[in-house]
Amino acid sequence: VEITVAGDRITKVSVLQQPNGNPKDVEINDYALPILVQDTLGAQSADIDMVSGATVTSDGYLESLQAALDEAGR
Amino acid sequence: MTQTTAGARPGAGTTRHVEHLMGMPISLALRGRHADTIRGREAWDAVVDELREVDRVFSTYRSDSFISRLGRGELGVDACPPEVAEVLALGRAAEEQSGGAFSVTLPAADGRRLDPSGVVKGWATERAAQHLRALEDTDFCLSAGGDVVCHTAEAARGPWRIGIEHPHDPRSVIAVVPVRSGAVATSGTAHRGAHLVDPRTGRAPDGVASVTVVAASLTWADIDATAAYVHGPDAAHWLESRPIRSALVVWADGTITRVAP
Repeated sequence: VEITVAGDRITKVSVLQQPNGNPKDVEINDYALPILVQDTLGAQSADIDMVSGATVTSDGYLESLQAALDEAGR
Repeated sequence: MTQTTAGARPGAGTTRHVEHLMGMPISLALRGRHADTIRGREAWDAVVDELREVDRVFSTYRSDSFISRLGRGELGVDACPPEVAEVLALGRAAEEQSGGAFSVTLPAADGRRLDPSGVVKGWATERAAQHLRALEDTDFCLSAGGDVVCHTAEAARGPWRIGIEHPHDPRSVIAVVPVRSGAVATSGTAHRGAHLVDPRTGRAPDGVASVTVVAASLTWADIDATAAYVHGPDAAHWLESRPIRSALVVWADGTITRVAP
């Protein structure tokens, strides 16, 4: 099951199977798909707790989004 | 260096810690009963101590680590701490399940060299998180260089929101995934000196900018993200067969594929 997006256009869609049942259920909620920022809000205002990325190293840390989160201590 | 900041977001009560180990930031967010207690602080110290010990055993950058000595043939697996055999077994399973796209031995000038770091980061972080899991009524979100494991003890506090870094613009987020309990790992080109190579060819894979995997276990999220990245143009297709919750593939041309097996 895949969705492919180019720019702001969806270029390929297969049927998305979201689990059925009570949306408040913890397990079910944990099967959420990543929500594309372009579909919702700007990256700057995306409310996040932690960053998953391939470039999260100590070298570039001070400039990084993760550092901003750690400092903010939100 | 440890930096600790107390929560500012109203009602969130999130406490954060960060420490640099193995060339990467280890970041922790805690909320709930032990976010600000001595026990919470001790659990964080235990996480850091454990990761430091893992580095002493597994670092390929330290010539005196067990892994370096094992790689040079100076000692056998039996002479290493039992965790070494555990990690090598995980590496073998990963190699088998990925058709060789993942391996703990990589091509080198003189044959192959032992480098289990592709297993160690996720495995060690997940293992170290047990100290946080022992804190009653406490939620945690722990990141080791962008590999994230989180847990929510109280559903009312809501899921952790994990931002997925834009591979072409690390200062921005390309997607957000809410996770109550589980793991998120991302592999891509800029991983610690761009050392991601196809173990079968020794060449850097192409076609993919980054792969993010959301799964129950950080060990396997990390392994699968790396293996998918190496699969190149087949990354999304290969991930469909994996026991993951979801994945996000950002291709080299900037297009995005979301995978939900």
